[in-house]
Amino acid sequence: MQTLADYYGKTLKFDKLTSYCPGCGHGIVTRLVAETIESMGIREKTMSVVGIGCGGFSHHYLEVDAIEAIHGRAPATAIGYKIAMPDHVVFTYQGDGDTSAIGLHEIMHAANRGMPITCIMVNNSVFGMTGGQMSPTTIPGQVTTTTTKGRDVHIHGYPLLVPEMMRAMKGVAYLARETVVDVKSINRAAKSIRNAFECQVKGLGFAFVEVISPCPTGLHLSVPDAYAYAAKETLSYFKPQVFKNELEKSDEV
Amino acid sequence: MKETLFLKNTEAFAESMIRCGIRCHFAYPITPATDVMKYTSRMLPEVGGRMVQMESELAVSNALAGYACAGKLGATSSSGPGMTLMQEAIGFMAAGELPCIMLDAMRVGPGDGDIIGAQSTYFQATRGGGHGDYRVIVLAPSCGQEIAELMPQGIKLALTYRNPVLFVVDGVTCQMTETTTFDEPYDYTADFDTSDWAYTGTADHPKRFLLTGSYTHEQGYEMNERMRRKYAEIAEKEQMWEQEEVDDAEVLVVAFGIHGRMCKDLVESFRAQGKRVGFIRPITLWPFPNKAFENIPASVKSILVVEMNHGQMVDDVRLAVNGRVPVHFLGKTGGDIPMCTLADMTREASKLLEGE
Repeated sequence: MQTLADYYGKTLKFDKLTSYCPGCGHGIVTRLVAETIESMGIREKTMSVVGIGCGGFSHHYLEVDAIEAIHGRAPATAIGYKIAMPDHVVFTYQGDGDTSAIGLHEIMHAANRGMPITCIMVNNSVFGMTGGQMSPTTIPGQVTTTTTKGRDVHIHGYPLLVPEMMRAMKGVAYLARETVVDVKSINRAAKSIRNAFECQVKGLGFAFVEVISPCPTGLHLSVPDAYAYAAKETLSYFKPQVFKNELEKSDEV
Repeated sequence: MKETLFLKNTEAFAESMIRCGIRCHFAYPITPATDVMKYTSRMLPEVGGRMVQMESELAVSNALAGYACAGKLGATSSSGPGMTLMQEAIGFMAAGELPCIMLDAMRVGPGDGDIIGAQSTYFQATRGGGHGDYRVIVLAPSCGQEIAELMPQGIKLALTYRNPVLFVVDGVTCQMTETTTFDEPYDYTADFDTSDWAYTGTADHPKRFLLTGSYTHEQGYEMNERMRRKYAEIAEKEQMWEQEEVDDAEVLVVAFGIHGRMCKDLVESFRAQGKRVGFIRPITLWPFPNKAFENIPASVKSILVVEMNHGQMVDDVRLAVNGRVPVHFLGKTGGDIPMCTLADMTREASKLLEGE
């Protein structure tokens, strides 16, 4: 009988339950990253640099070397590691709070620097681990524990569009926003994550994938309702798309 | 072959680390530490290394941590407010048992302070600005020559104990230009095998991970206990200081860095007049050289601590002396001349000799 390990290989670990809440999109994104590493055959030379928050647990479920970086600083840590180990594959895995609130500075400069590292930002539009506070990516009207009447853009500002901010940067080789709200989207997200790793292996430059993910706990919704909310409301603000793909040019050559 | 160069002492720091095998320097411009990065940006590529200019001290210190994860010894250099921004990552590196070499070209504070040289960061250097029970090994050279001589020792300490090592040199000394004789280049980092802990991919070891936030209570306890034992070992084995004319002294002057260097002239001048003054110059600020004070002779009737601040190391001297002898303080910081002069030190020591 085929086991999960036979199917997923060594990268994804099955020896303990995950700490992600039931229905959390992190489980899907973590699996997609594991599948990419496994299929590319890069597990033994891959380093995971995770942020603080729910995403910080992702490395517990991956059989690759890992560092839990300081809140927001994962891209800087990844750059330091890449300088020391240029032939290795290093990726960051951060949530929207870690990446776009406390860590906006590091992610933007990492993108602009153009060093071939891969950054995954899982955006569930809320601070999950700390109990559902407003994140820079909380959508207008979204109720959180710190926007109890819904995010009012006149008071709280607008949701931050991180890939759009990176779009003009020449150092960025792959840039995409994906989601895991349905099967079709998950397949597209898998492709973008793979491309983001391929970019690094080919040394083309910085690669970034934002993945819109439902947080049933933070949204105080059932799992199906959280997915429906993300698919309708969150995606109305954060439009999935591939902004930039230097791999295509590279393949043409 | 030895080589004597005429350099600013910031450049002496840069030259020392290059000669001793450090190949990566992460930095962000700040006065008066900037000369280090100007020097390494030019000189490191010639030996296959690089200076990496990051976007802030936050990024600098975290990139340094990422570099150290690979089992390699990197360096950084900063001053005052830059060091303040690095504290979080320094605590992170101590917790993760990651080695590095750092220079704090100390300037005056608090807050953003001023660019004038000082020793205002003694507390920050020796107590740490990050949270938790961690320690940083702190070396306080008093001139370019001592920077060059302490660099191999600093590298050895960083890699032996897998801990950040911080050189603290006041901004005045950093900007002095003087001759320094360097030993023949030797890669001291190559003396250490880091393969049993470095995060270099699972090809040659089972998965390793550096946890800083989500350890269990039991893991956290074990980590802290392991570090407590390590710090106790360092405190026991690694105290360094210089002392002269202590055996029959009536007054002992205690100072580090530039004031420590001035103590030689001060004591010589007193001794020429037949006055019994000696000095102790701490070279390690953490661990503080308590052993230097354990057996001070009964002739000592008072101690004068001189610093370029409002009194920081004086606390450690009082703890080391433990009430056996009165400890007095003389300090100055800021202004056009940000330090005590030899005349100030002579005046205060004379008062103590006379029992005032």
